Amino acid sequence: MADSAPGVAKARTDAEDHLVSADEPLHSLQLRCGGDVPGVVAIPALLDLVRKCRQFSMKLARPIMANDGAHAISALAEVEPAPGGGCTIRVRHWQSRALPPEDQVALGSRVAKIERQSAEFHAVLDADQRVLTAEAANDELKPLAGAMVAMPGKAWTGYVEVEGGVSSKDMHWRLLDGVNVKVAGSRRPWRALISPQGGTLGKPAGFTLSLTSDVAPPEQAPTLSPEMRTSDTRLIGRDVAPVLRQPISRIIANAETIRTRLSGPLAEEYSNYAADIAAAGQHLLALIDDLTDLEVVESEEFATAPDHVDLADIARRAAGILGVRAREQGVIVDAPRAGETLPAVAEFRRVLQVLLNLLGNAIRYSPPNSQVWIRLEQEGSTAKVIVADQGPGLGLDEQVKVFEKFERLGRSGDGGSGLGLYISRKLARAMGGDLRVESAPGHGARFILSVPADSAA
Amino acid sequence: MAFVMTDASFHSAAGEPIESVLREELDHGDAMIGTIIPIMRHLLASDDHSVFSEEIVARSRAMLEDISSQLLVARGEALQVEDARNLDAAEVQAMVIALCGDAALLAHVHGLAVEWQLTERLHARLGLDPVLSPLLQALIASTEPSVAAAGMSLLASQTRFTQAQRRMKLALSELPAEILHGAIIALGQHAGPDDEGAMQAEKALCDAYDEGRSRLGLMARLVMGMGGNAQSALSIEHAGVGMFLTALSIATGQDRTLATLTTNEGQVARLALALSSSGMKAASVEQQFVTLHPEISLPEGFDSLGADRAAAILSVGTGYPR
Repeated sequence: MADSAPGVAKARTDAEDHLVSADEPLHSLQLRCGGDVPGVVAIPALLDLVRKCRQFSMKLARPIMANDGAHAISALAEVEPAPGGGCTIRVRHWQSRALPPEDQVALGSRVAKIERQSAEFHAVLDADQRVLTAEAANDELKPLAGAMVAMPGKAWTGYVEVEGGVSSKDMHWRLLDGVNVKVAGSRRPWRALISPQGGTLGKPAGFTLSLTSDVAPPEQAPTLSPEMRTSDTRLIGRDVAPVLRQPISRIIANAETIRTRLSGPLAEEYSNYAADIAAAGQHLLALIDDLTDLEVVESEEFATAPDHVDLADIARRAAGILGVRAREQGVIVDAPRAGETLPAVAEFRRVLQVLLNLLGNAIRYSPPNSQVWIRLEQEGSTAKVIVADQGPGLGLDEQVKVFEKFERLGRSGDGGSGLGLYISRKLARAMGGDLRVESAPGHGARFILSVPADSAA
Repeated sequence: MAFVMTDASFHSAAGEPIESVLREELDHGDAMIGTIIPIMRHLLASDDHSVFSEEIVARSRAMLEDISSQLLVARGEALQVEDARNLDAAEVQAMVIALCGDAALLAHVHGLAVEWQLTERLHARLGLDPVLSPLLQALIASTEPSVAAAGMSLLASQTRFTQAQRRMKLALSELPAEILHGAIIALGQHAGPDDEGAMQAEKALCDAYDEGRSRLGLMARLVMGMGGNAQSALSIEHAGVGMFLTALSIATGQDRTLATLTTNEGQVARLALALSSSGMKAASVEQQFVTLHPEISLPEGFDSLGADRAAAILSVGTGYPR
């Protein structure tokens, strides 16, 4: 039982179960299991043993099994507490057996399942891949989900940029499954996963669309510390919104199923009732989003995470996201040309949120066959984005009231919550800028978002 | 006969109306009566091979008493009490009750009792030596010094185990680490918080402990060291009961105590699946059945079940409730 006997691999861990040093073949197994040296023990059976050894302060000796994806490995591990809180490990009787090659079909379906589980965005599509409802799991994709929910019933490929310029018209879902897409407002590359739901495999009754990315989400903005996030003022965002979203999404999805008569023929009236239910549900979802945002911008610790951004780029993205909706309303959006830039210091997604709100309003209240302009201006140290429309315009008193909380200017039933402009102005001011309006009744409105210009650029 | 209430009545809040106390007590009584028939049926219908035979129960209880005594002696010695080995029987019983709360320990001593019963049965029926099996003989004769040394250590350890089992005893140092840890915690709870003796006893027991030198540790080490030949340990006549159970647990990834239970008559399906999932041929599985359960034959078509399928079916079984 001499330790120097051939076939004995020695290793050491520290008090945090980090593998400090390891002989071969343990060293390379640690790497193949995704670990590092030094780094936390990545071989699950060995980690378990090391933890028990530390917890019990006892010498342990047990068989361990491991799997590095290609080989099944078994060995006998002896783990002993070492001075300083770590452990000494001796591994002997190393046996490695090649695993039978995995069934590729089973592997593929398992990978697909995992990807769907870990997807950051889900949407329900009808039989023609038109969006019924959508939900984003992160802030990055919220604008996309918002755009889809605000204007459902279009092919999902119209809301994103499908790589390779695939014409989405009547594309078979199998060709679109796994395709790479770009999402306006997100810098990460995304992959779309489409899985058929119901019906037959040849003719599915609908689909689910999931978006996953191989790039990890960016770190949370450091301005909101964890303690602050859990402060009691975040009642809606923390407690209410998460539990409401799912049931409401189900209501919408089911109402859409009825409306589009996915499960069979139905009288026109009932289909219309279902459409009303779906619309009301979408209104509720939008309201929850607005209330969540309201809570955030009104909390005392609210701050934005300024970055170097290009307002022209954000404006083009906003126009891209709402392009489908604008075309349906017969409104032409005139966005900044490619190549135009306006550097500024602001938080990317907040600016996008404000512009989506302004542009959405402009499209909603514009007469058919009119135009909406997005213009850029720099005035000294201030960079401005102007969204101008040819709508009915606002009187002087309305121009004041329009930024107030829950102010609808007498409108109702169009899906607005009366919070959008209030939140947008709060966001603009939090970024060191402002949001103003210039208008005269009958001459359209100009909403002006100003943020600090990026003088360094 | 006096009116004796069970423990449950003590939990009732003082001043509660007598009716509700009695009603609750009656519920507990009903629940107890409900379990009488299944337990009686099991005890009456089963023979000596039962997992609940009187021998097994007596053996399990005696091992718990021995463990309790050793823990209390360790505490007494740590405190340098004069006459530390002279224990109060009532205190040992109290410690046994404390240990009964540990399901893993109960399962372990019960599994050892079943293992010993099987060892004795095969000794009587097939003349299989409880200590020295053909496999252990071969290991001791190995040209590899470390294997021969480990084989000798196991021989000594297995001899101690058979002597201890005949006396219905179980040394603390033979427990797997988690179970010893659990027993030490039970000692601490029994002794009360910040008990100096319990803390010192814990230190002494942990320092002296070496899982690799316990009987089960040595067996695991020898089976792992056999590498590709470990299959030969899956023959109970060749390996002896102890090595066979260790090899079975390693080959199937089951806990050794659970592997022990598979040898019971009520678990033939688990045994057949476990052997089959280890990659054993149907004919060899049949051979093991002849050894363990001469009166039971394998179901028709068993030979067509592959190791993968057997492992898949076996993985659905839960074993001990978690």
